[in-house]
This record gives sequence, C-alpha cells and structure tokens, in this order.
Amino acid sequence: MPSLLGLHRLKLAALLLAANAALLLHLGAGDIKPLSDWVWLDILGEGGSALLCLVWLGLLLNGRPAGRVTNLLALGLGLVFFSWWVDCLDEFIAMPDAVTWDHWLESAPMPVGLLLLTLGIYHWHLEQRAISAQMEKRERLFREHRLFDKLTPLGAADYLRRQLELGLQESVREQQPLSLVMIDLDGFDAINQRYGHAEGDRVLQAVPQLLLLNLRQQDLLCRLAGDRFVAVLPNTGETVAAQIARELAEAVRHLAHRSRQHGERIQLRASVAQVMALQESAESLLQRLNLALAKAKQPLALSA
Amino acid sequence: MALHCPWYENDSRCIAAHQQPASLIELCLSRGIDSHRLLRGTGLFLEDVPKADSLISPAQFLTLIDNAQRLLDADDTSFLFGQRLLPGHHGAASQALALANNLQQALELLGELRALLSPLLSPRLLLDEQHAYLYWLDSCGAGAQQRFLLEAQMTAVVAMSRRLSGEALPWQFHFRHAQPKHIEQYWVHLGEQLRFGQPCDLLRLPREHLTRAWPQTVQSTAQVACQQARQQLEQHSTRASLLDTLQRWLLRNVRQAPNLEHAAAALGMSPTTLKRKLHKHGTSYQEQHDRVRLLVALYLYQIKGYSNDEVASHLRFHDATNFRRSFKRWTGLAPSALRQLLGG
Repeated sequence: MPSLLGLHRLKLAALLLAANAALLLHLGAGDIKPLSDWVWLDILGEGGSALLCLVWLGLLLNGRPAGRVTNLLALGLGLVFFSWWVDCLDEFIAMPDAVTWDHWLESAPMPVGLLLLTLGIYHWHLEQRAISAQMEKRERLFREHRLFDKLTPLGAADYLRRQLELGLQESVREQQPLSLVMIDLDGFDAINQRYGHAEGDRVLQAVPQLLLLNLRQQDLLCRLAGDRFVAVLPNTGETVAAQIARELAEAVRHLAHRSRQHGERIQLRASVAQVMALQESAESLLQRLNLALAKAKQPLALSA
Repeated sequence: MALHCPWYENDSRCIAAHQQPASLIELCLSRGIDSHRLLRGTGLFLEDVPKADSLISPAQFLTLIDNAQRLLDADDTSFLFGQRLLPGHHGAASQALALANNLQQALELLGELRALLSPLLSPRLLLDEQHAYLYWLDSCGAGAQQRFLLEAQMTAVVAMSRRLSGEALPWQFHFRHAQPKHIEQYWVHLGEQLRFGQPCDLLRLPREHLTRAWPQTVQSTAQVACQQARQQLEQHSTRASLLDTLQRWLLRNVRQAPNLEHAAAALGMSPTTLKRKLHKHGTSYQEQHDRVRLLVALYLYQIKGYSNDEVASHLRFHDATNFRRSFKRWTGLAPSALRQLLGG
C-alpha cells in the first residue's frame, strides 16, 4: 500500500505550526530555566508521552485514508499531543506567576482532545462494523491479517484451516452437516503463458469476486493455493453442496473476463468438487476434497 | 583417469542474470518488492539484469533466492518461480527444449544442458521397464534453499511437460524432506501423488508417456537450436558444477570403492584442495560418497532386483552386516524396511 501521509499534509502542518507557536509564546513570556532546575523524571515522562502520541498520530495518518473518522481521531490525538507538549515546555521555561494563559494552554486541550478521540473511536467502531459486513463470506468470527492471502482479497490456506476446525466443531455441536466445495480453474497456466502472469493475477483477483456473489451469507470463501479456492458451507448437506458447486462452475464459465491489454475475452472454465464432512480432522477433510477434485479434473491420469 | 572437463564452483560467475535470476526478480517486482532490498548481497544492480554479459555466481543466486523468500513471505514463491523456468528464456537451450520431439528428448536435453537450464540442481534421467525417474542432486551447496530449488525445478518440469504435451501427466513425487505445512501448494502446482521422507528427491512417470510424440516439433529448427546451445556450453566451458562432476565420477567408479585421494587425483587437484572446496560447498567427501552409494544401492534394489548380499558386494562392502549398518546411517531405515516403503 502506498503511504497515505501525503493526504494529511495540512493536518500535520497545522500541528507543527501550533506546537511552534506555543514554543514561541513561552519563550516570549518566560525565561529558560538553568540546567540545575531541570527535573529529568518529569521531562522523560511528559516528553516521552508527547513523543509516543506523535508516533500514534503518524501511524494513524499513514494507515488511514482521509475521512470523518480519520479527522476526529487525528484532531483528538493532535490536541492530546499539544497538551503534553506544552506540559513539557514548562520543564524548560519558567513562566512568571502573573501569566495564567499557560495553564489554560496546558490543560484545556487535553479534555477536548480526549472527548474527540472517544467520539472518533466510537465512529471507528461503526466503520469497522460496516467493513465487517463488506468482508462477509470472506471472514468469519476472527481476524488475523497475517493470514490474509497476498494476492486475492481472501483468507489464505492457514485461515481456511483454522476456520475449518471451528466449523467442524460447530457442526458436531449443533448436529448440522458441513460441506466444502473446491473450485479450480482449468488451463490457468495457459492463460499465464498466453496473456502474461500479470493478466493471470488479474484473473485470480476477479474470480473470487464472482464466486462471492454466488455464495450465501453464511458461507466462507478462501484461496487454497494458486488457482484453487475452497468454500466452506455450514449447515449444508452433500446435495445442496453439489448444486452450489455446479452453479459456481457455471458462473465462472459465463464470466466475460477481458484482458487489460487488448480487451480480449478470456474464456474461463473451472472444475469443481464437493465433500461433506464426516468424523474427521480438517486436514484429512481437505485431503479428501483435493482427491475428489483430482478425480473430477482428470479421471484418466489418476487411473493410469 | 584424469578429468579435463572444467566445472563451476559456487563462487564462479557463471549464471546469466537475465535468465533464471531475472525470472525471480520479475516475480518479486510484480508483487511490489523493493528492488534494493531484493538485490542486496547479490552483486547485481537492477539495470544490469537485462544485460547479456551480467553473470552471477551460484552463491549470489542463492542469496537472491533467500532474499526473495524472506521479502515475499509466501508459500508459493518457489512454485511461481518454477512455472516461469522451462522451457524459459534461455536462448537456444529453451528453444531446443520447446521443440523437442517428446518428453524423453526434453528430459535428456535438460540433463545435457543443465548448466544453463538448472545450474543449482542437477537432474539425471533413469529408465527401467515401467518407469522413468528424474532424480535431483544438489550441485552447488544449496543448504537451506534446497527445498525451494526442488519445489521450483519439479514445478518447472511438470509445467513444461504439460505445456508441450498438451495434457497433465501422472507424475509421482518423492521428496527427502518431511511433509511441509503448506502441502496445498504441492497439490495445486505438482499433483496428488506425493511422498515425503523418501531416500531421494525424484520425479517418476510411467514410461509410456516418455515417447509420445509432441505436437509442436520442427525437426530441423530443433537440431539447430540444440547445436547452438551446445556451442554456448563449450564457449562458457561450464558443463557442470564441481559437485556434479564429482558425483558423476563417483557414480562411474563406485565399484572401486574410491576414496578422497582417488577423487582428488581424478579431478586434478590435491586432496587438501578438494577437501577445502567441498567444505566451501557445505559438504564433505564422505557425504557425497554416501549419497552416491545410496543412489546406486536404490537403483540395484529397485531396478535390478538385487538382494542385500549382491548390493553389498557390488559396492565393495566386506559383508552384508556392514552394508546394512551403513545403509541405516544413510537413510535411517534398514534395507528391508526401505524396500517396503518403496514398494507401497
């Protein structure tokens, strides 16, 4: 992902300006303390907090596109940083007792900042729920970004394994069948050869979107490896799974994927297989599914 | 007999950067990897990769592979790399492969032109009545990258045979390493007939697939391409690596129970030099000798149907007990147990 910091240049400039202004105000009104008066523990505590706050702000801005939630969070963190920054300036600059605005400058931004931060996190939570709804059929119950597939917008094989373990437990508990469907593109290597690997990658990114459209809300689609995908179908018996598998194959056949370079139609086909879980581990279930697919793909080669 | 055929070592600059290394670099760049970090320690700059005279050493290539694996951090790197290897873009050698009459010819070419087509892992084709075996030996001291290379080269052969024959062939795969966690990558890119923890790394195929004619043959062009590739090998005078040369010498002389001194003399160097060179490749004479003797023993069991005593005497062991002990050291299994494993 490209760095998003560039989007937030204005916010960062404003913060820099405010921090500078506070510094100048302090320098104008007060005197620098002699080194012997510096309290190192306070400097470390307050300065460290300000610095950490700046790091959070940097990470947040670098990772999030612009928008309402980002603005709230950034403003909140900015104010918290400002408050800690002024607090830290106190340690170096002695203010005359007649000046009171420095207390305001130090204390007022903090509660406002924390309020904005709270509001931001609340809206972030709403946003997260909206995103989770969009992740439907691609993610269930737990998230671990290290298990995301690196090419397609799906979970990878290890995510599938974990989900399968959970699904199998659930199916035993609720006495409901669980089925798996495997979808494998036919002649994918030929596409790579003919249209280039970049086009092959685009096919791999397009097909899951199509498959997702053809799945039900409770289903989960993962990428096993290469051009092979697995759908986990909870509460589904073998007959329904077979029908879904057929429909997925049909959908792939009717997908008019066009190459980026010349806009040619690339004819796609998929082989599918399905199995229903028996009393077995996730690993052996996957293995059985894979053999079923091999049979569907090339009955001749296996019998040879 | 002294060998006059020259070889390359793991620090000889003999691998054209625009061939196999370029495929790996391209794969990494297409996945958004930073080229500086990718090329660190490889002696290459990105702008030099396409130049015909940029050469890197096997050790540098292995560093590149290590970098690629670390940066991509994906289970399928070796397989995606392998898919791009054969027939590949290695000039005349690739053209000769792409125009081969049938699989047997392609595999023989792969063996002959291995310095160009598979510089780090040396393939060797063996036939018995029912099967063809293509087994792979480390030729540059791959160390931790051995599995990556095997995955890549086996994927390359499988993909090539599928492309050129127009059908998926029923390959069987034997690996020395244990079953890895990412077994699904093997399923998708290789096939279902996988065995791990075997005594050697090999591909096996029913023999009838070897001689089926391939559609795209153009006899005359193929011959020209072959000759060009051979000339290329002559010019670079790098037909095989040092380890490869030693392994093949050992295979020919295994019945004489050769020792380090014999091998050094045959390679035209002092025993100390050979020892040092082998050490540089992360191996030893003993290890190489054992690997070759194991291969020969397996060959005699599997293909010739020899008994323990016959194999022991063929390999110049004093007695069968001694042989059994050595065999167990090589494979962790007694010969009888291994025979069951292979037969099953």
